[in-house]
Amino acid sequence: MSKVLMKGNEALGEAAIRAGCVHFFGYPITPQTEIPEYLCKRLPEVGGVFLQAESEVAAIHMVYGAAGAGVRCMTSSSSPGISLMAEGMSYIAACELPCVVINMMRAGPGLGGILPAQSDYFQATRGHGHGDYQCIVLAPASVQEAVDLMTLAFDLAEKYRNPVMVCADGMIGQMMEPVEFRTEGRGPPMAENDWALTGCEGRPRRIVNSLHLAPEQNFACNVRLKEKYDRAAREEVRFEVYGDERPDLLVVAFGTMARISKSAIDDLRREGRRVGLFRPITLNPWPYARCRAAMDAMPVGAKVLDVEMSMGQMIYDVKLAAEGTRAIEFFGKAGGLVPSPDEVAERIRALLP
Amino acid sequence: MSVRLKDLPTEELLHKGNLACAGCPEMIGFRHVLRALGPETIVINATGCLAVITQMGVPLVPHFHVLFENAPAVVSGIDDALRVQGRREGVNLLVVAGDGGTADIGLGSLSGAIERGQDFIYVCFDNEMYMNTGGQRSGTTPYLARTTTTPVGVESRGEPRTEMRRKDMVEIAVAHGIPYAASASIGYPLDLVERVEKAARVRGPTYIHVHSPCPTGWGMEPSKTVEAAQLAVKTGCVVLYEVEEGKRRVTRPVARRAPVEEYLKLQARFRHVVADPAALAEVQRGVDERHAAILARMA
Repeated sequence: MSKVLMKGNEALGEAAIRAGCVHFFGYPITPQTEIPEYLCKRLPEVGGVFLQAESEVAAIHMVYGAAGAGVRCMTSSSSPGISLMAEGMSYIAACELPCVVINMMRAGPGLGGILPAQSDYFQATRGHGHGDYQCIVLAPASVQEAVDLMTLAFDLAEKYRNPVMVCADGMIGQMMEPVEFRTEGRGPPMAENDWALTGCEGRPRRIVNSLHLAPEQNFACNVRLKEKYDRAAREEVRFEVYGDERPDLLVVAFGTMARISKSAIDDLRREGRRVGLFRPITLNPWPYARCRAAMDAMPVGAKVLDVEMSMGQMIYDVKLAAEGTRAIEFFGKAGGLVPSPDEVAERIRALLP
Repeated sequence: MSVRLKDLPTEELLHKGNLACAGCPEMIGFRHVLRALGPETIVINATGCLAVITQMGVPLVPHFHVLFENAPAVVSGIDDALRVQGRREGVNLLVVAGDGGTADIGLGSLSGAIERGQDFIYVCFDNEMYMNTGGQRSGTTPYLARTTTTPVGVESRGEPRTEMRRKDMVEIAVAHGIPYAASASIGYPLDLVERVEKAARVRGPTYIHVHSPCPTGWGMEPSKTVEAAQLAVKTGCVVLYEVEEGKRRVTRPVARRAPVEEYLKLQARFRHVVADPAALAEVQRGVDERHAAILARMA
């Protein structure tokens, strides 16, 4: 396959089709609108369904319905729209239905702005709707990785019968990069299963439901979900380690901010500094043990710098990984400001021995 | 008694300078609405082009910025809170929203606020698509119009939903038993001012649907905004009327309707229709049918 130059949002739309998603329900919001616009043109060509909903609330519940009817489906939005989808996400997780949700994060809170941010980290990783459910959250750092993760997202959604969120930001959505699609044509449909509502001719009826008035029954549902999330934490953790293996300072960053940090680290290493990067690719389940191992490899007293395009959200997971063994420093900007490699490098220099 | 040009309030409540596209109809309409209401007005602005282009700094009145789906809920809260504090008298609560916020995502919220009988003036600037996000279809997009989510090609030839099934926001408001509802156009500012002044005199919910041709979204010359607005009325694509306590009256009768082609040919979004006599005839039939249905309700 040759490389093509594509805008991130459009590449994600194409990647979804190649992952077998032919049902898209969405509502426009900057900076992700090119995803629905691209799929609007492309889905009819592969026999799929594009539907512009009247709201994000409607879009996520259309996904709820389509997933319950047993098709690979997804929606996409950006921060304020994802907030509106919270209720639906909880129901989809509770009913154990697979779907993919893309969040092209923009700056908040409130309407905020349309520039990139990573301020929805808490929202993505801590459930975001009500109840004891979780999303599997994948955080790409480039358009290519976003494309590659789309297939994984649909596979994980089906494996765990749970919503999977691809959590990127406006930078990845809006920039154009060379990208290679590793598969041709329309991807596979959802596998045969024993839960989708497809009519009950010749078999007992099936039920999609999250109402459990008996507390024991509801507790059993919660236990079943928790077992899935524990299994995902054992089997699905993904991360990248970059730079020095025994660094004097370890940067922890994800998505766009990790990519910017890499530039800073490259500059510093050319100066002879020993700096490393730990990049979680799965924001949930979070790679606690592997991050801790990277910290444990550092010299005594070496610091950890958490860098985010937020006021500091992932830092709590970094602290959980460190369990008090390391000092965790923070550098970040929010509101749509994106720290430059020079700014990150300057901050690292100030912390190095 | 019609409003005359010399009767118009002279106080401008819209500061000069904004980020609107050339020929923006919303700035024309908003200016006249604010002039009609005067300085004792609080603007509750649902997210849309207006919020972005004014940045809340251009209107010289208090401004409350809210989201697409909840402006009628927010105005309900303001209405009640001012009343409890004894500060409700003499204040206009003006909700400004687009067709997306009004006809689509915010419809439920608007329905609730009208039903409760909250006291507000709701002005919807209808440019028949979502222009703040770059031109997607809305519940008021006309039949066969090209938008980014109703493209023109082999599988799709523009908006598929027919003219008779377009969401009619005035009639939806009227179905709630609203005391006053009207359609208006930025092409007829005196008529618009009269509708707004009338709404301001009503205690309770009022709704004004303002047709607003968008040069950027429709693919028109920016100088054609007002001409397009007037042609929409002259061709019968838009009927200007008011509904006062259930009584309907056409406020700007059109003796002899012009063919819709006159209106459509200004707009690139209808280029494929104008080029195809069968499609053009289909659009004309849809407009005729809708026009007749609206006039039939006037009796």
